[in-house]
Amino acid sequence: MTHRFLSHASLTALVAELVAAKTRVIAPVRAQDDPEQVDYRPIQKLEDVALGVRLTRGSLKEFFLPPTEVLLYYKQTKEGVDIREVPTEAPPQVILGSTPCDAAALEVVDKVMGWDYRDELWFGRRAASTIVSLLCTAMDSTCFCTATGLSPDSFRGSDALLVPVEDGYLAHVITPKGEALLQKYAEADECMKASAEVAQGEARQKVEKNLAAIPPEFSAWLAANFDNPIWKTIALRCHGCGACAGVCPTCHCFDIVDEHDTADEGVRRRNWDSCQTSKFTLHASGHNPRQSQSERFRQRIQHKFSIYPSRFAEILCTGCGRCTRACPGGMDLPKLLDELMTLAKSEATGSEPKGSSL
Amino acid sequence: MKELQDLARKLLDEGTVKVVIGYEEGARGVRPAFITDAKQAGKLIFDKRCVQNLAAYLNPRRKQVAQLGTPAVVVKGCDARAVAGLIREKQIERDKVVIIAVRCGGVLENSETDSELTSETVSVRCGGCDVREPKLHDYLLGELPPAPPVNNRRVEQIAALEKLSTAERWNFWTEQLSRCIRCHACREACPMCFCVQCTAEKTQPQWIDPSATPRANRAWQTMRVLHQAGRCVDCLECERACPEHIPLGLLARYVADSVERRFDYKACEDPAVAAPMGAYKTDDDEEFIR
Amino acid sequence: MSDEVEHGSDGAWSPKVVAFVCNWCTYTGADLAGTSRLQMAPNVRVIRLTCSSRVNPLFIIKAFERGADGVVVSGCHTGDCHYSTGNYYARRRFAILHDLLEFMGVETNRVTFSWVSASEGNKWQEVVNETTARIKELGPFRTLQGQKGVEL
Repeated sequence: MTHRFLSHASLTALVAELVAAKTRVIAPVRAQDDPEQVDYRPIQKLEDVALGVRLTRGSLKEFFLPPTEVLLYYKQTKEGVDIREVPTEAPPQVILGSTPCDAAALEVVDKVMGWDYRDELWFGRRAASTIVSLLCTAMDSTCFCTATGLSPDSFRGSDALLVPVEDGYLAHVITPKGEALLQKYAEADECMKASAEVAQGEARQKVEKNLAAIPPEFSAWLAANFDNPIWKTIALRCHGCGACAGVCPTCHCFDIVDEHDTADEGVRRRNWDSCQTSKFTLHASGHNPRQSQSERFRQRIQHKFSIYPSRFAEILCTGCGRCTRACPGGMDLPKLLDELMTLAKSEATGSEPKGSSL
Repeated sequence: MKELQDLARKLLDEGTVKVVIGYEEGARGVRPAFITDAKQAGKLIFDKRCVQNLAAYLNPRRKQVAQLGTPAVVVKGCDARAVAGLIREKQIERDKVVIIAVRCGGVLENSETDSELTSETVSVRCGGCDVREPKLHDYLLGELPPAPPVNNRRVEQIAALEKLSTAERWNFWTEQLSRCIRCHACREACPMCFCVQCTAEKTQPQWIDPSATPRANRAWQTMRVLHQAGRCVDCLECERACPEHIPLGLLARYVADSVERRFDYKACEDPAVAAPMGAYKTDDDEEFIR
Repeated sequence: MSDEVEHGSDGAWSPKVVAFVCNWCTYTGADLAGTSRLQMAPNVRVIRLTCSSRVNPLFIIKAFERGADGVVVSGCHTGDCHYSTGNYYARRRFAILHDLLEFMGVETNRVTFSWVSASEGNKWQEVVNETTARIKELGPFRTLQGQKGVEL
């Protein structure tokens, strides 16, 4: 890990070179429907980018696991069935200015994508991507990356991390990919490190206020409290709409469907899905083990904060806060986690838990 | 709102209802509240940040709410129309819900802030509201505030779209709907979408492809808004729920205007009035029929 | 029906039109047109239903998705419905669909609604020929078919 200095002019030139070489460059840009909001979109030049303005509404997920993608084409012929799989190599792409929580999410999801079956489409895009994150300074009250073990200056999942300093950025070069991308344009750092460290420290402090670190025992407590009555009331306001899963950088469930216009040819696709929808666990027999939203919401918390950790030693959440921002029903994940962790702690110490404000 | 809190306390203490569905202060603005304990009734509030249409929670598919028992629901006039719709379409029985209506002077477009109500900040659906004093209620609370300012943004957007050529409108909707990820949050948040099996979930035959392709997204949104014709109360929960910020309210408003223009009908608070798509007049316009 | 582009015997593009017709009036009227040997463009594929109110807007959307360049929906004249009131309900449904399609950018000339009675063989001939001519002018509805998000 080294650190260097990247001037604004150099970054502009780097982006121009990438675009000219037909590399897709994705960065935060002001949203068309609401210029106060920011989304990750492909860009043509650095001036299009809105760095460090605000947290993006969506995550990087769509650039690695698209909302819908074709897996294979099939065609019935007289000889049998022709199947053509899609290529797993992806064209190169550079993500510029992602938040550290979004970059880290990719590494967290890598665990399940490489678990019992290697998802070549996911890893193809991972291999083709270089991720340059930016120190996050636009956190708000729903952020809690520090509670999940990350931070606004986390290196996890990034190939390089930029920290705004005078006239440009301190570039932490983290991986060989990061080195390869920046070597032509980054200069030796001359004493920017100190001011970067100040900025990084300030950012961390801002987020730490929002939620205490999730203790390692929390996963086991959740597993032991699967039948706790609190689940019946914790999600009454949840519509089961699945908007949270859509914007979440770590939610990765998908459905597989075959679609065809004629009887003898079509495509097999995978589409984003969410455990919050009523039919997610509907069996062919008609039985649904998760019949009400309280059970489905319990599943969301259990999967992210207990099941995934017990399997992969990772919390399936990076504290980005998008679920809370997107929720039309007013669900508030950091508040909810705080209540659950307090309940867990009071049970451990034997003290009386205060009445739930959920 | 002391009147509201006292009423909630009374209803819960008497056992008339088992839950009062209202609004409370959350960490990020107002959020729906489910008060089952009379001692918590003090949490209930009502002000211009109370945007959500709580009628959605009366939808019988919300098993976890139905399990709590007989509800009371706090409604604005627009929300009361949704409750009327659910009663009209036999999803709930009138005597199985206590309707606490509150006189309303408009709500904010963005309920997370607490700005003054102006023509910029007020919700697009409040202008011209004729149900500020809701008629469907068991209790009617609050003082009647002045009429809300009018936010013309949506009317202007629709007018602008109507001025475009057909091809330009096609491109506009293709672009907007290309963002749709088929999460169906619009459907889940809508109080009137109560079907246990949605038309989009039918697989034998499959009328609407489930994938988020431009073609299928268009079919989905077209069908959803058509199924809402004459039923939609313009609460804009669909637009608020959409994680991709697709302007679904434009479609909802356009179809509602079409229904009003053609059949002289607006979503109303009287469950006895038949909804237009389940009715007809022998002299309905057939100018468009050869 | 595939979304292959068809060509007439002169090599020019030939529109595909799907007609959803009610069994009692329009289908019989179309039959009359046939037995009367009235000359009609061959582009219309007829799908027989019990009543115009059986037509779900999804049929029309699906027809366009799967290769139709135009759609005809036809039933009994109002007051003459075999089921008394079916076409009254249908009329309301079609009115809203007509408005919405226009708002969403589908040329309204691609969808023809008509009332054709069992004795109106001539009218059916006109509907078929006029619709086909109109769709020929508008061109193929490739954009919708091309939006299934698949590179083949």
